[in-house]
Amino acid sequence: MIRTFRGGLLIGLAVATVIAAIAITYERYDTKTLKRTIRRGEVLCGVNKGLPGFSIPDAKGDWTGFDVDFCRAVAAAIFDDPKKATFVPLDAGERFKELQSRKVDILSRNSTWSMSRETSYDLYFPAVAYYDGGGFMLPRARNIDSALELNGSKVCVQADTTTQLNLADYFRTNNMKYQEMKFGKLEDVIKAYDSGQCDTLTADVSQLYALRLNLGKPGDHVILPDIISKEPLAPVVRQRDDDWMMIVKWTLYAMINAEELGITSTNIDEALKSKKPDVMRLVGTEGAYGEVLGLPKDWAARIIRHVGNYGEIYERNVGSGSKLGIPRGLNQLWSAGGIQYAPPIR
Amino acid sequence: MIKFRHLIWMVIAAAAAMLSVSQSHAQKPDVGDEPGLLPDDSVELDPQFRRTAVLYRTTEPPGTIIIATAERHLYLVQGNGRALRYGIGVGREGFQWQGLLNITRKAEWPDWTPPPEMIARQPYLPRFMAGGPGNPLGARAMYLGTTVYRIHGTNRPDTIGTAVSSGCFRLVNNDVTDLYERVPVGTKVIVRQKPEL
Repeated sequence: MIRTFRGGLLIGLAVATVIAAIAITYERYDTKTLKRTIRRGEVLCGVNKGLPGFSIPDAKGDWTGFDVDFCRAVAAAIFDDPKKATFVPLDAGERFKELQSRKVDILSRNSTWSMSRETSYDLYFPAVAYYDGGGFMLPRARNIDSALELNGSKVCVQADTTTQLNLADYFRTNNMKYQEMKFGKLEDVIKAYDSGQCDTLTADVSQLYALRLNLGKPGDHVILPDIISKEPLAPVVRQRDDDWMMIVKWTLYAMINAEELGITSTNIDEALKSKKPDVMRLVGTEGAYGEVLGLPKDWAARIIRHVGNYGEIYERNVGSGSKLGIPRGLNQLWSAGGIQYAPPIR
Repeated sequence: MIKFRHLIWMVIAAAAAMLSVSQSHAQKPDVGDEPGLLPDDSVELDPQFRRTAVLYRTTEPPGTIIIATAERHLYLVQGNGRALRYGIGVGREGFQWQGLLNITRKAEWPDWTPPPEMIARQPYLPRFMAGGPGNPLGARAMYLGTTVYRIHGTNRPDTIGTAVSSGCFRLVNNDVTDLYERVPVGTKVIVRQKPEL
């Protein structure tokens, strides 16, 4: 009798252990990110540990920025609460592996979408959130307004970067000569430019605006409108979780479509009463577009109410409402001079 | 008890609504039009409203003007994916029209004859004012089609980027003079409005 009892206890213990182990494995390796996110009650976002305009924590540990707002938008769509996003600072070298090992649900970390990154890490870049690219900064007094007028310039550039290669390509393709002034560190590049050692400085445009802030008189320097290379920055998710990829992709497209339709965080209540079919489909008063994503009907309305449309997020973090003041450029809507274009919700 | 509390809230809400309505209907002088005021040249425009060469993709040919009223920007298409961007001030509600117009006339230091609609709204305005620095039309004017609307200068550079005054498009005098030199009579002007909900 005692023996059977002890045996039963042992078997019971073994079964419990196995169940616990399965549960833990399931929790960690469940391929359904949306389910894991809902169970956890928050979205985990991999971000840059400090890049003004894109993601930066303040003294209290509150994160702001364009990349941060994108994650908040995903959290708003799922939880109706943009605060249900936790930010995990990741190094450039580790970011893709950390995503792959499920440390985060999304990478929203100024990452350039390229073929090799998508294929070699088993990842997806669902849609371009920010079109960046190489550009030039030079003193306003030079009165040049096109990069094609830079023939014979001394150009400051960071050594061993794609920027350096793009610079060489651009001058060669356009039959121009230049003298390269390369430095290992970005600080030294800007120092050399500031002390007049070169006629112009090249870097990614978003970087040029940040660098210009640190010059003695930012207003005395212009950044040319020319973009000489492609640096499409995009959120990143794991492959083989199409449902999650759809949510991330359509969160961005909802924000872009909202801007195009004139829906903002301030007029969202008015938009919910609209009788225009494309507005109704987006805000969820017609159709079941949220349900097919595994989200509630008002998923997009939540995004717009809590975080805003694409233009609002852009202007607040990197545009006219920020210190950076980067013009919309390529990131303007396709219908207003740029190339930001979202497939329709229908 | 609950009903009574509701009643109190309803009274408060109604009072607040009345207050806000009466305030928005209060007669305010129109800050956009101050005839006689000399422009304050020391006003520094917000960077986004200063004249800048920007990337701008369009199928419209170089030389076309595109006015994006919601953005408060006027683009002069340069071709090759570029445009010159100017900051503008726009009408408070007047000009809701969208589409294509032409510049039918250009004038330096234009005289100002406020149209009857404007006089009806703002009876204190002069019936005529000769061109000059104190004139609300500023240094230059470009007349749009057969409408009463124009692209013009201003004696209130601080109103660039805002929606005040009647329906016209205002630029600071330096910018309107710059634009004036670049565009001939006959130039296509495309006006784009914010989409309606």
